[in-house]
Amino acid sequence: MITTARIVLRPVLPSDYRRLYMIESDPATAMTWRYRGDLPRIEEYEPALWKQTQQIMVVEGRTSGLVVGYLQLHDLDLRAGNGWFSLYSGPEHRGSGLVMEGLMAYCEWAFGNWPIRWLYAHSFAHNVKNFEHGMRRGEAVRLGVLRERMLVDGEPTDVHVIGIERENWLASPLRRRFNVLRARRC
Amino acid sequence: MSDDETQSAAGSSPQGSWRLFVPADVPFIYQLVAAVDPRWWRFSRHGLEPSRLLEIAEGLAAGVVVVDENGRPVACAVLADAGSAGTGTLEFYALPDPHAQAIAARLAPELVAAAFAGAPIRRLYHERFENDPDLLGEISTLFEVEVTFPDFALVDGGYESRTTSVTTPERLAAWQAAGAQ
Repeated sequence: MITTARIVLRPVLPSDYRRLYMIESDPATAMTWRYRGDLPRIEEYEPALWKQTQQIMVVEGRTSGLVVGYLQLHDLDLRAGNGWFSLYSGPEHRGSGLVMEGLMAYCEWAFGNWPIRWLYAHSFAHNVKNFEHGMRRGEAVRLGVLRERMLVDGEPTDVHVIGIERENWLASPLRRRFNVLRARRC
Repeated sequence: MSDDETQSAAGSSPQGSWRLFVPADVPFIYQLVAAVDPRWWRFSRHGLEPSRLLEIAEGLAAGVVVVDENGRPVACAVLADAGSAGTGTLEFYALPDPHAQAIAARLAPELVAAAFAGAPIRRLYHERFENDPDLLGEISTLFEVEVTFPDFALVDGGYESRTTSVTTPERLAAWQAAGAQ
């Protein structure tokens, strides 16, 4: 668990599933990489949620106590030393920065608790702006773009592949600032 | 599968040919994965426990075995991750000897054409480590690198990067048309 002034990053509990399902049911993000518009019924959600998944961390707002989003560690490859992550934000909290703060906490958690050198993520072209700041600052890198990889509403859509390298994260000024603020405000 | 079906699905070459994968080829797949370990990452990433390899092999969309002039299996190509997005991944490995690799490279154009003919694929991906032998031969130029994973995994004591490249039916058709002229 990682606590900052605004959020708590903690492992998911079964009592969170309904909230996670609500987040994923939002029409604006229903066409996610994982379900591709075919979100299972709530009764079948738990096994689908955990498919190929090693751990799920929810981002809880400290003021509201509400789960504002979640991050998933999946397709962990311990022989290569890498894993993939997915990030989901509740529709009413997009743009608040809470889930992106959760991503910083998640990097701290993932690289501090799993023997991985790289974290990768797929991002649709229409979501990649969430990573642009990190790529400009250098904490994240664009490893490439899979052109017209997916069909979203029947239209071919590019998928960006984003990478966060352990050593890069550990040495980043953003991480230092995050931990200074975290220590000061908790 | 009947003999007729095998014949109709097979291609040929003066030094080698290919045929559709059959369950009896599973021991060869294991032999091949072990011989190139860890380069066939889909199988090697979790180690070489046989029942797990069998499970992965059963999940593949389609596959062919390349045989040499004596009918001995020397290479295997599979189509993986073929889904509703109209994409798929070609995985193609040969035994680590020059003769096997040469036969595989010679048949690569036929195998890629067969992948497009046999499945509704608009983009065909190919992943490889930087020091993998080039088995795509003369059609390797049709594949364009889209993603590079730096220092992806340890191979023989050193980290190797891994790339994802792609080709399309249109590129293959243009190449075939150019070759026919």
